[in-house]
Amino acid sequence: MTKRQTRAFFLGSTGVFSLIFLAATIDSHRQFPTLTHSDQITPEVVAGKHVWHRKDCINCHTLLGEGAYYAPDLTKIAEQRGAPYLRSFLTDPSKFYNEERDRRLMPNQNLTPQEIDEVIAFLGWVGKIDTHGWPPRPIIVSGSTIPGANIGGAVPQAASNDPVAVGQALFGQAPPGCFGCHSTVRGVSLVGPSLAGIGATAEARVKAGDYHGKATDATSYIRESILEPNADLVVGPTYSSNGTSLMPPNFHETLKPEQVDAIIAYLMTLK
Amino acid sequence: MRYRTQSVAYAYFVVALLLYGLQMVFGLLAIVKYLGPDPIKAFLPFDVSKEIHTNVLIVWVLTGFMGATYWLVPEESRTELYSPKLAYWQLGLWTTAGVTAVVGYLFGWTEGNKLLEQPMPVKLAIVVVMLMFLYNIGMTIWKVKRLTTTEAVLVAGLALTAILYLPALLTFDNYTVSIYYRWWTVHLWVEGVWEMVQGGLLAYLLIRLSGADREVMEKWLYVIVGLTFIAGILGTAHHYYWIGVPSYWITFGGFFSALEPLAFLGMAIYAYMAMRRSGLAHPNRLALHWTIGSAIFSALGAGILGLAHTWPSVNKWTHGTMITAMHAHMAFFGAYVMIVLAMITYAMPGLFGHDQDAGESPTGLWAFWLQMAGMFGMTMAFAAAGISQTYLERILGLGYLETQHKIQVHFLMVFGTGLLFVLGVALFLFDFFFLAPKRRGAPPAWPAVPAEAKG
Repeated sequence: MTKRQTRAFFLGSTGVFSLIFLAATIDSHRQFPTLTHSDQITPEVVAGKHVWHRKDCINCHTLLGEGAYYAPDLTKIAEQRGAPYLRSFLTDPSKFYNEERDRRLMPNQNLTPQEIDEVIAFLGWVGKIDTHGWPPRPIIVSGSTIPGANIGGAVPQAASNDPVAVGQALFGQAPPGCFGCHSTVRGVSLVGPSLAGIGATAEARVKAGDYHGKATDATSYIRESILEPNADLVVGPTYSSNGTSLMPPNFHETLKPEQVDAIIAYLMTLK
Repeated sequence: MRYRTQSVAYAYFVVALLLYGLQMVFGLLAIVKYLGPDPIKAFLPFDVSKEIHTNVLIVWVLTGFMGATYWLVPEESRTELYSPKLAYWQLGLWTTAGVTAVVGYLFGWTEGNKLLEQPMPVKLAIVVVMLMFLYNIGMTIWKVKRLTTTEAVLVAGLALTAILYLPALLTFDNYTVSIYYRWWTVHLWVEGVWEMVQGGLLAYLLIRLSGADREVMEKWLYVIVGLTFIAGILGTAHHYYWIGVPSYWITFGGFFSALEPLAFLGMAIYAYMAMRRSGLAHPNRLALHWTIGSAIFSALGAGILGLAHTWPSVNKWTHGTMITAMHAHMAFFGAYVMIVLAMITYAMPGLFGHDQDAGESPTGLWAFWLQMAGMFGMTMAFAAAGISQTYLERILGLGYLETQHKIQVHFLMVFGTGLLFVLGVALFLFDFFFLAPKRRGAPPAWPAVPAEAKG
């Protein structure tokens, strides 16, 4: 091989592969609208993207797995947590996490309610991007998708008196041990049904023709399900047996009314 | 130093090394924050430390590249620089832009786009600096119309660096599209045109240090940069897998990323063969350490550790974990930091006006080995953290916070080995700023190997 030949190899191969790269770029632009649902990029989503950049979120968090690794991935956060929870969290993160216990705490970004709604809209849009199935399993902020996986871990404690925060902590404590049978992640069914989107599910159950309980709305349905599990049975392989729910029947004795209220407040934020 | 104007490089190396020191401060701050709680998060949160740590790295490595080029081009083209004055003005503007960015970050003035956080005025200043630089170098070469392959590859790499910065000036409403073009700058810099810079500097150093035949070295240089682009251009795809692009990028990424180690392995073999063929006779043995070290460390860090997580079925689980930090630290250090330090070490005796025999000092050797050991340890600690995180958080489904709690010990290891590394950097700076200038004219009075190392 001479120097002239190796130079030809360098220039030729670089040229060929640059052309392939450019062709694939043009084709990708053709497909971006479908893959990213670009028709759903509303002015609110764009405004949320600006908030995301202005507040430098990417230098702690990852989004689509890209960013820094100091804070959780947020690709699916809007679906996992829902707008009410995120609104409350972004208003004051210290209500939900305790820096002494969790070692890290998101500094309050002092966002206006409008900025909060914008960034939630942006994250909601990101969650719908076709990522070829990534993440392959849900990445969650805290807790576990498998009961008992947090071996040796600390029992969750609420960081404030906020009912949602109290409810979230109770959910992860045993007793009552809700987390042992219910996941909060869509599609992850343990012994009992997943509680992702429980508010909407409850709402639909109350209105269904075959519902015979006393509840009138989502909140009272969830309350009834906790305190009187047999009032309305949801069909599922391990949810009930011979017409009796497998949910512990004694929560009306073991939980205080305000604890039940807190758990309901938390569950209603799950989307 | 054969040409008077090569001394411009000194000013560039001073700025580069001062920023290297600053980078260490913010790196240490960042890892301490991983151990938490963080009492200063209200006025210096993690994102700012991380942003400054990475931005200062990019700025000082580029400063080093430019200084090295001002050193190398007069020698290769056998002429004085076109305008040393322009080179100093360029450095002034560059430093001002860099310092403005860092101070701005401290006050939350940022575009919040990973690695391209520079606010628009700073970005434009960077473009002007690049143009000043390329004009000065271009005119120097044009003046005598003498261009060697080594300097052609180096200068082409830097010109392409400037061109590939242009996508960073664009903004898109669609987040996927903005990430798509962000990688044109970030990936095509570090896994593309910067390898041309590394290759050019490596060829120059090997020719000078080992006396290897220029024709042979330059012939293989073309093969190496050719391999870089065959793998690197479509290898961009490994950043695209999960961001909302057509699925053929997954196939492209898997295949071409698997080829990416070839160019880096090529560089390591290149350096090794040059040494085998032409020996290690050069008196500046410290520059030899850094040169060979760069070829080997980049093969490990950029080549092998990159391949460790670019295969799609692996990346699906490791994407966005500490595995990336493992690869990034060793890759950047091996490929770009070490080659700049090699050039500085090689140029130092000339810049300080004494002969090459004074190139090796015990302090310099300690600086080398402490940085080696520190970076190796940090890479291992990041790997342990990343592997644990992947299994606990991604596969087992444990929450992010619980997982981070369980892998604290690895962050402690990053901190410990990071301290070793910082000590090495401090010794390098001490040698450059305080010891080397005093060595002027004095014959080396110390043994070739530090007494401590002999045991």
